[in-house]
Amino acid sequence: MTVKNIVFIGMLFLGVVIAMVPENTTKPYKLTAEAMLVEVQGAAEMVSADDVAHWVISKDPSLQLIDVRTPDEFDKYHLEGAINIPLSVILRDEYRDYLDQGVKMNVLYSNGTLISHQAWMILRQLGFKNNYVLQGGLNYWFDTIMNPQEPSTLAANEEFAKYDFRKAASSALGGGGAVALTAPTQTQAEKPKVVRTKKKKAPQGGC
Amino acid sequence: MGPLIPQEIIGADWNLFIAFIIGIGFGFVLEQAGFSSSRKLAGMFYGYDTVVLKVFFTAAITAMLGLLFFSLFGWIDLNLVYVNPTFLGSAIVGGIIMGAGFIIGGFCPGTSVCAAAIGKIDAMVFIGGIFLGIFVFAEAFPLIKDFYMSGSFGGLKVPEVFGISSGVFAFLVIIAALIMFKLGELAEKKWPREEY
Amino acid sequence: MKTSYMNPYLAGVLLGLVLLMAFFFSGRGLGASGAVKSVVVTAVETVAPEHAANSLFYGNYVGEDKSPMKSWLVFEMMGVLVGGFLSGALSGRLNWKVEHFPGITANRRLIFAAMGGILFGFGSQLGRGCTSGSALTGMAVLSVAGFVSMMAIFGTAFALAYFFRKNWI
Repeated sequence: MTVKNIVFIGMLFLGVVIAMVPENTTKPYKLTAEAMLVEVQGAAEMVSADDVAHWVISKDPSLQLIDVRTPDEFDKYHLEGAINIPLSVILRDEYRDYLDQGVKMNVLYSNGTLISHQAWMILRQLGFKNNYVLQGGLNYWFDTIMNPQEPSTLAANEEFAKYDFRKAASSALGGGGAVALTAPTQTQAEKPKVVRTKKKKAPQGGC
Repeated sequence: MGPLIPQEIIGADWNLFIAFIIGIGFGFVLEQAGFSSSRKLAGMFYGYDTVVLKVFFTAAITAMLGLLFFSLFGWIDLNLVYVNPTFLGSAIVGGIIMGAGFIIGGFCPGTSVCAAAIGKIDAMVFIGGIFLGIFVFAEAFPLIKDFYMSGSFGGLKVPEVFGISSGVFAFLVIIAALIMFKLGELAEKKWPREEY
Repeated sequence: MKTSYMNPYLAGVLLGLVLLMAFFFSGRGLGASGAVKSVVVTAVETVAPEHAANSLFYGNYVGEDKSPMKSWLVFEMMGVLVGGFLSGALSGRLNWKVEHFPGITANRRLIFAAMGGILFGFGSQLGRGCTSGSALTGMAVLSVAGFVSMMAIFGTAFALAYFFRKNWI
């Protein structure tokens, strides 16, 4: 078998094989199952409603709220500054740059935490960083931030501080709360560090 | 999963070193194939030596299949591999000018460097010509800029244009190449070459 | 001295593998004209830095933190020099000469080599690549630019071959 014939037959054979394979458009998962388990057990992806309220009021530029519910629900009500990326379309290329980035802190939210968590799981497995889940979702947000419950007189000071903050937050955010008892305390919300992913450079090349 | 440096599996500092090593492989194979001889290269267009056809298409097909199979096995992420962008007008006119340069000069830039490495003075003169040509282009650039940027289609791939899969397209290229190889061999028999 | 070259199909496979390795390691293919461009840019920048900085063309490559010579292609071309030399040395093909068809003079060959080089220099910049960078690499990634380049280059060379036949056969 001459070299020439080996090459010819090899090319033909491999050509037939590759022609039969459908176009490969899968997005591979980057994290192992073990690594994911560690992450979900650590619950580091949760951010509290209080923290988010603080960032919204102080107009923190690194915050990006992402509403993962359907467009109808988004139109009826959404948090100020939130963009709508429904879970069903989260893998589309057009949303890639919002979800796979290293500049902003994306806080995903839904009515509860089910959908937002589902979204987070998928994005995390794709290796995306800087995505978080709003603890309790919109339901908890309404109950605590927008319509905070006055703590009983026996509660700790900390509870009152939280209540004051939420009252102020709710009026700042357009909720139905009355004026706070004391000035809102500037609780230093501990912000999760934005992991600066080295901006994935577009492939370089050329002659 | 590759490509290793864009995925930061190997540090970016290695990139230039790897370029050097790849260059050694490139230059070595080119010279071994005889691409350091302008008479062999030009022979393609007169029928007496079709080495350019054979090496060029075999190499393109090998790399093409390599990329598709690597992608299939999950060894490379094709989205991170550079695809040269299509600017239709300049690609065609540039290609025509280069084609003229090829038949007149008997080299292309890569082969000229390879030939210069073994002492071919005509190759060195060719390289000197490349310098001049690039300089002329650079100075004339403001005049040509609009044409240069026209007809932009981005990183368009041929299978996308025809709505077929990459695999099917690769197969078609292989068929076309095999036919050309056969024709090439017939040509070489018809226009025999003397020793050079 | 009779010289023996490698089987072209084998050489093609090896070249294809080299190209594949470039993709696998660096995410890019081969190239050549870009390296010469880097040298031209560096030369112009050294001799006339203001002209370089103000020019639409050179301006892209010169500046505070840019060193045009530290480019993938420049290092690759240095490798080509080494690789070509090694191959020539191993196969006994090292010698200074002006290779030309016996039917013409060496000087005529050199003149045409210079003209061909000028055309290729200009054309490679316009076409955003040469046979290695645009045609070969482009075909491997299935780009339209790659195939268009390849057809334009080879098509034109075939079409003009008749007019330059005296130089070669």
